Amino acid sequence: MDDRNDFGVQTSHDQASSGWGTAAATTRTGLDVGTSKVVTARGDSRHSTSDAQLNAFVAVPFTSLAQNTLQQNGIPHYRDGEELIVYGSASEKFAHMFNAECRRPMAKGILNPQERLATHVLESILGSLVPPAPTANEVIAFSVPAAAVETGAELTYHEETLKRYLKGRGYTPLAVNEGLAVVLAELANESFTGIGISCGGGMCNVALSYLSIPSLTFSIAKGGDYIDSSVGAVVGEPATRVKAIKEDNFDLNRANDDKVGKAIHIYYDKLIESLVDELYHSVTRSQKLPRTDRPLPIVLAGGTSMPKGFRDRFEQLLRRRSLPFEIGDIRMASDPLTATARGTLVAALAER
Amino acid sequence: MAATLDPFSGPDKYRTQADACDVELREQLSQISADIADPVLKLRYLRGAVGDGERIERHVKRVPIPPLRRVLYRLRGLQALQPLADDATSRSSVNQRTLEARKTARYGVVGTLAAGMLFLPALMATLAFSIEPKPQASPQGLAQLTAHVDTLQPARTDIDTTPPQPAESMPEDPVGLAPTTIWLADRGPGWELYSNGLRIETTYTVAGEPRKYRIHDRQRGIQPTWYSHPVGILFHTSESDLWPLEADYGQQLRQSSTALLRYVARTQAYNYMIDRFGRVYRMVDDDTRASHAGHSIWARGDDVYLDLNSAFLGISFESRWEGGHTLPITRAQLVAGRNLTNYLRQRFAIAPEMCVTHGLTSISPKTYLIGYHRDWARGFPFEAFGLPDLYAQPPPSVALFGFTYDREFVRVVGERWPGLVAAEESLRGDATKRHVSADVVRLERRSLYNKWIGQIRDDATVAGETPVQTASNKRG
Repeated sequence: MDDRNDFGVQTSHDQASSGWGTAAATTRTGLDVGTSKVVTARGDSRHSTSDAQLNAFVAVPFTSLAQNTLQQNGIPHYRDGEELIVYGSASEKFAHMFNAECRRPMAKGILNPQERLATHVLESILGSLVPPAPTANEVIAFSVPAAAVETGAELTYHEETLKRYLKGRGYTPLAVNEGLAVVLAELANESFTGIGISCGGGMCNVALSYLSIPSLTFSIAKGGDYIDSSVGAVVGEPATRVKAIKEDNFDLNRANDDKVGKAIHIYYDKLIESLVDELYHSVTRSQKLPRTDRPLPIVLAGGTSMPKGFRDRFEQLLRRRSLPFEIGDIRMASDPLTATARGTLVAALAER
Repeated sequence: MAATLDPFSGPDKYRTQADACDVELREQLSQISADIADPVLKLRYLRGAVGDGERIERHVKRVPIPPLRRVLYRLRGLQALQPLADDATSRSSVNQRTLEARKTARYGVVGTLAAGMLFLPALMATLAFSIEPKPQASPQGLAQLTAHVDTLQPARTDIDTTPPQPAESMPEDPVGLAPTTIWLADRGPGWELYSNGLRIETTYTVAGEPRKYRIHDRQRGIQPTWYSHPVGILFHTSESDLWPLEADYGQQLRQSSTALLRYVARTQAYNYMIDRFGRVYRMVDDDTRASHAGHSIWARGDDVYLDLNSAFLGISFESRWEGGHTLPITRAQLVAGRNLTNYLRQRFAIAPEMCVTHGLTSISPKTYLIGYHRDWARGFPFEAFGLPDLYAQPPPSVALFGFTYDREFVRVVGERWPGLVAAEESLRGDATKRHVSADVVRLERRSLYNKWIGQIRDDATVAGETPVQTASNKRG
């Protein structure tokens, strides 16, 4: 399977020129540490470039030949005893080549407790994307999930591991809620007021923000991986193949005749239903209902939200619900894959 | 005191949840920030302005004249532009008219202060002549004053721990007195009038699911009898945004109450709503259940109630929890709430200790924490309703089922209720007697809760309903 063009490939983003001045041209880094991908955005308030690596690895038996091949091709790896650990975007190719399963340092938004190599691999991937701080104690902002509603997972270990690593690289780390990062990236014209939703590999994160202050944050422990594994289980295909089909221009508006396509449809619907359900329940049981005088915009981001028809399906289900406030425009982020990283970059740049 | 997370500064500021600021301040800051083009500068401005605004908000909110309040918020918003205006690069990102407005506002403030300084001596002189000389303070009086000053503590900025003023003052009803006979005096299309002055609007009334529930006995577990009438009242707040209760906001007050009523009717969230003018609305028929209680626990004697949607009537006051206590309800709401409570107590023979607040009963079965919903977690005027102070009674969630609380609960509620302290001490006492840790006792009691709530769920499954789960999906 071909790599998607966001894996390890740099893309750049320019703010539309306004004719007004900008913040001093400080350059900083924002980091989206997702279950499926790690994305960085580096730049100033007008221009940023992003870079991404698959947050995965594959272990292959050590041989001198294999190690030489990896070195000659500049593929990130390290040796762990009698194994070579190939990490980042190249791991998927190697998994196909060696007929092995890709492993994940993270699961459901946090460090994978079942994975022995989780911390080391994640640090290696971060190391390939985040250079040592150019100036001492430069602020770097990184995304953190909200505790998942279903599991209420403990986040401290995951966050502290990231913070310590980034401090070790000479940075001052700043944690940003993942849903809020989407708001910071996409809702500047609305004074950072609205709902940001990041649908990633391991979970969907939601933040309701007023003037950049999160009034409500939550996550559900379902994402792209849930679809891949559920579909894989019912159609008897490996999750990696399901993922490949899903990411190959899948269209939720189009009826599918084949078994895999139908199953992907069904589990996408389940995911969107869960997301809408939890959004409804969270805002209705919130200690503070927002006023209904101004419609709140919603922005969808993250790789799992990218198939055509996702936004329409989400809107269709959400507008059936009676929410205590009016929903405004529901739109996709300008670049859904980098929105979280760009939002963390805005937060990092806002620090003095 | 537990460490607090500051939503405006510190390393967790972009992940800590906080209530949205006052709607008037929000409007002003939105308008000003719309003139800042650069998203980074806009974020920096808003973060500073909202953080500082929160500190002045509580004072400005007390200003009784809405236009003056808006001016003060506007001034605060313009003042927060200072860091951007001082920096040449940043200044160019702000619309010129906003910078001009800021300058004008500064001149205005300085001019007002100067005028005040000029008139102050004249004002002082006038006051000196018009006020009768006061007797000199006696040494005893001075001592009392000194003692009072000595007891003053530095003001806390996070949660107000002073006893909240729950409502405008009014004479208390005698505690424990059974309501006298109240009868339907008159009725018309969309209203009922009762002999104690209670008027119930019935235009929004809908029928919910029939009440059907069983109770647990502390010693013998679930009881075979099915009940279909309410035995208690649960007091809530609507948790909706509140417009200032002033004539200038008449239209907004009516609109927001109407929107709230429609929402409550759609979701069948309470049996009764009391709006800010003291109008009582029956939303869901008394004989049917509203989805108001979520996961809640209450007990009386040996009877333990786990399905409060079925067993309790839900009365919600249009108000909300803020800054560690429920905002004061109006005198009209208090009078109406008292009349309604008396009527319901008489009609259904409800015991006074079965009239409790949602904040005292609400729990999370996933985390085993109390206070999942915090409406009236402090400050319900039990005495004014002629009811016993249930904040002093050990909550059954803690005493019977080993639920506990976290630092966030203490931070938000400000202090633990006396009953909560007593329940915990009792639990620890039991643990000491048995030579086990308090955690062991909690675990045992939680397993009892899991067993009992499982029986309630089984009942619901048999009946084709989902009382507890459905309840948790509705507002609290």
